[in-house]
Amino acid sequence: MNSANATLGLLGCGLASLAAVATAIRLRRLPVRARYAVMLAAALAAFVPIGELSIAAYVRGATGDLSAATLVLAGAACFTQVTGRALIGHRDKQALCWLLALAAAFLYPFALGWTRFDPYALGFGSVEFITALLLMTLAAWRARLNLVVLVVVVAALAYLLGAYESRNLWDYLIDPLVSVYALVRLLAPRTVFRQPTNQSP
Amino acid sequence: MHSATAAEISGGRLIAFWYGGSREGASDVALYSSVYSLAQNDWSPERVVVTREFAQKHLRRSLRKLGNPVVGRDSKGRLCLYFVSVSVGGWAGSAVNRMVSEDEGETWSPPRRLVASPFFNISTLVKGAPLLFSDGAVGLPVYHELLGKFGELLRLDAEGHAIGKTRLSWGRSSLQPVIVARSDKEAVGFMRYAGDPPNRILMLRTGDGGVHWNPPAKTALPNPNAAIGSVLLSGGPLLLAFNNAEENREDLSLALSQDFGNTWRIVHRFEGGAGSAQAPVPEYSYPWIMQDRAGDVHVLYTWGRSRIKHVRFNRVWLEGRP
Repeated sequence: MNSANATLGLLGCGLASLAAVATAIRLRRLPVRARYAVMLAAALAAFVPIGELSIAAYVRGATGDLSAATLVLAGAACFTQVTGRALIGHRDKQALCWLLALAAAFLYPFALGWTRFDPYALGFGSVEFITALLLMTLAAWRARLNLVVLVVVVAALAYLLGAYESRNLWDYLIDPLVSVYALVRLLAPRTVFRQPTNQSP
Repeated sequence: MHSATAAEISGGRLIAFWYGGSREGASDVALYSSVYSLAQNDWSPERVVVTREFAQKHLRRSLRKLGNPVVGRDSKGRLCLYFVSVSVGGWAGSAVNRMVSEDEGETWSPPRRLVASPFFNISTLVKGAPLLFSDGAVGLPVYHELLGKFGELLRLDAEGHAIGKTRLSWGRSSLQPVIVARSDKEAVGFMRYAGDPPNRILMLRTGDGGVHWNPPAKTALPNPNAAIGSVLLSGGPLLLAFNNAEENREDLSLALSQDFGNTWRIVHRFEGGAGSAQAPVPEYSYPWIMQDRAGDVHVLYTWGRSRIKHVRFNRVWLEGRP
């Protein structure tokens, strides 16, 4: 299981690396064949060890295993950059970012030991935490916020299957990278994050 | 070399671990071990147990350096070695890993990462001995050093996953918890103090098996922002190995409490007394104290940042101290 945990962790870090590269170079502006070629080259660079470790292993060393929120957004970003089509609507993404920002504001300051209260400990199977998450997910489902529902379902399944080394549900839901992304997205001018067009160049 | 830890193993032996290298935090730092024969009173040649490269390969992530090891047993009686590693930055970027030995330290499983923090799982370190809960879970005292300095008690399952934790302290001034249990319900903890003067050892207690802890309070014993070791001897007194000064680590002493930590008396000075040999760097720190099955007490500590020193004494000697 240790090996499977590590493999899944590396895959997640590699996916996030691919999304970062594809977004940074604005892959969708290239011809379609070039997009696939760049993604293939980036995948090889991310996963094939250079010396002792792959780039994904270096990323994993710095970030740890990445949450479902990061992986879903990274996967969608890769899809968008390769196909030129947006997978996630603006409303869906805004809702997820608000929830991530609120969760981060609740989780991280206390995790730094500022008080006796430790919300991270709730992630070790607290009934109250799971109930709150279930109610929030049902509310998101009623409001047709499908991205939020998808992230929670992926995180819950990964947690139940013990996909990562962690046995804490928080680690499957959220991580600092996606928290920073959500905060920047909510605070930055809207034009920075405008949706890509559906047309191929 | 620095930060010794030890456990008794079969055949009337102790096994000790520490980290050593060209300097603290260097990439050539490795974890070493040596075995001590209680009957023959000698230590075997040291051997390398974990290198940075070995840990990096099995943890499948980049590592920059290794740090504090801590050894103990789980509910199956297996030896478990917990050790600190850092991927990015200084000690505030640490995480804890665990290896298991089924053959008393001859061979070890590959390391597994413990996840104890939501912030990239960094800033978790170990120094205090693990203990066993009555349900078989392992309690591992850990501390965090990212922005704050505070202690926690992790609950680990049989596979070494963190499955719960309790905060022992909070804020920016307490670290390196050492916990000593007297019964299923009652335990006392001591912590290194890194706050404003007066510099004193911190103490905390639980009366419900570690579910709740009272806030750490300063004791009368000084602490120069240095690690502490403690053990409850069979049938009685509580011992504390500590630096008996507020500003430096030149004095390493032994204190004894007959009332489970309420009052203390100094019974011995290991280092810093008149006539004791002085290291080039006069620093004697990171004590580890334990009792073997025969009743003898062993203290291991860093001597002058260059050696690990072992002191052994028995109850007769202890009871004869003024």
